Amino acid sequence: MSTSKRKHRNVGIIGCGMSVFSSHREEVNQPEMIHEAVAEALADAGITLADVDCVVHGNMELFEMVHQPDMWHSLGSGVVGKSGLRLTTGGTTGMTLACAADNLVASGLHDVVLAIGFEKLQEGHTTGGISNMADPLWGRKLQAGALTGTTAQAMIDEFGKERACDAAMKLRIIMDEHAALNDKAHRSFGLERRYIKELTENSPPLVGELRMIHMCSQSDGACAVIFAAPHKIKEWNANPAWVVDHETVHREENVVFTGTKSTHRVASERLFARNGITNPREQLDVFEMYDPSAWWGLDWLREFLLLEGDEHLKMVENDEIGIQGTFPVNPSGGVMASNPIGATALVRVAEAALQVRGTAGRHQVPKEVKRALASGFGGTLWSVLMLLARDEPQGASQ
Amino acid sequence: MTDTPREQELIVSKQILSIEQTFSTGPIMGHFLRELRDNQRIMALRCRANGRFLLPPREVDAWSLSDDLEWIEVGPEGTLCEFDVVYYASPDPLTGATRNVPYVIGWVILDGVEGLSPLWHLIHTTDIPALRHGLRVRAVFAETRTGAMEDIVHFEVLNTGETGP
Repeated sequence: MSTSKRKHRNVGIIGCGMSVFSSHREEVNQPEMIHEAVAEALADAGITLADVDCVVHGNMELFEMVHQPDMWHSLGSGVVGKSGLRLTTGGTTGMTLACAADNLVASGLHDVVLAIGFEKLQEGHTTGGISNMADPLWGRKLQAGALTGTTAQAMIDEFGKERACDAAMKLRIIMDEHAALNDKAHRSFGLERRYIKELTENSPPLVGELRMIHMCSQSDGACAVIFAAPHKIKEWNANPAWVVDHETVHREENVVFTGTKSTHRVASERLFARNGITNPREQLDVFEMYDPSAWWGLDWLREFLLLEGDEHLKMVENDEIGIQGTFPVNPSGGVMASNPIGATALVRVAEAALQVRGTAGRHQVPKEVKRALASGFGGTLWSVLMLLARDEPQGASQ
Repeated sequence: MTDTPREQELIVSKQILSIEQTFSTGPIMGHFLRELRDNQRIMALRCRANGRFLLPPREVDAWSLSDDLEWIEVGPEGTLCEFDVVYYASPDPLTGATRNVPYVIGWVILDGVEGLSPLWHLIHTTDIPALRHGLRVRAVFAETRTGAMEDIVHFEVLNTGETGP
């Protein structure tokens, strides 16, 4: 596999924008919603559309069933007269957009690339759309959207019901507390820690022990991120979050139990090995994880951070993942707070970049952020990781 | 007419998309489906390069990248290795109908399969709380079969009291 990767030149994120995330953005159409994110990203970078060379645009078409959204959206995205690409890889779409934008600038093809991810889930049917992703020859009858209780059951089997359920709900509450600090977040319920058991018991089950309260939202929203070459960053005196590296790990699509390591663990192992990360909890300062449910968020901490045993449970039980903690996870509130699917993974990159640049506002972590990790996740267990840093990476050929 | 400003009415465009689709099955999945329909047999492919079973069958083993594969009949009995009890009434994308809940989907290691290559299907039981890993199950075939995964109606739980590995 790709053990060595070298960039032709460095790439920095210099602008991030997000629309307001909500269950219903009925007051704007798709191009208008995208324009909110694009305008904010341009203002954040201190540039105009004239400075952008290429627009990469993506969502998951199965939700809105619009054949060429990039064309409909051209007035909102600003792509008219520029180079453009459209990408779609399901849940990982936003992260694929970021990887593509990074590659386009790193290769020297373009100096300034605008990545745009969006979804207006209210305009389609989320679970119906996801079920239709299943293999049409044998899987569609069985697929229940993105819902599964197998991770919850495995954790209950491993750690006992009370400890596993409490840890999952504790993580859910911490994410809810973080969302209250994020003005763009779709939802924050004001969940209270003292009701940890009642919150679990009173929430309707979806699949097994995966309950409504554990699950991510269905949101409308857009995200825009601007990637630029070093000479542009210097020329504009921009505030960059440097893109150090990214890694994508696929899986044979229709096999559920492979008996092999998770794609998340493989992605981390490769990314960390290439970048000298031997102790991720010490060497990374914040992690924006694509956490579709409290159970997955909890289980995946162990995979992404290459932990063993119950270390990941302890991180949650000891509040290490809180915004004030030693290893903050999703100070934005994460995916359980806001989930416009085609934008969601790009939001992870944007939020990680805001933390590195020190511009996250009320949900800025109260410590120096030198390195941030962002993850993307897709329906067939694709995993994508992107590593950002405050200091410009060494080793690019230019 | 009054001077009170009226809130702007939000006009939305309501549309229903209904698409008829026909998917080619190809020679490999086609053979699997024909055996289900004509002979009520479940056929897996075994990769000669690494011994891995492919179920549902696929043209190439993704791990060995080998197409040196042999057909082996497996099942119809097997062992339940994982299951989901679904309470959320999602739509069946094949019919648009809302599914009846709760229902159980499971992963079954069919007899004759070596390694972790389960078949994913519906599990029929009258006693959901009694479900556990290792239960023995058996494929129930439809009386009228069309060459589709639904030619197996579901797997029924065998009341043998015995559990597999």
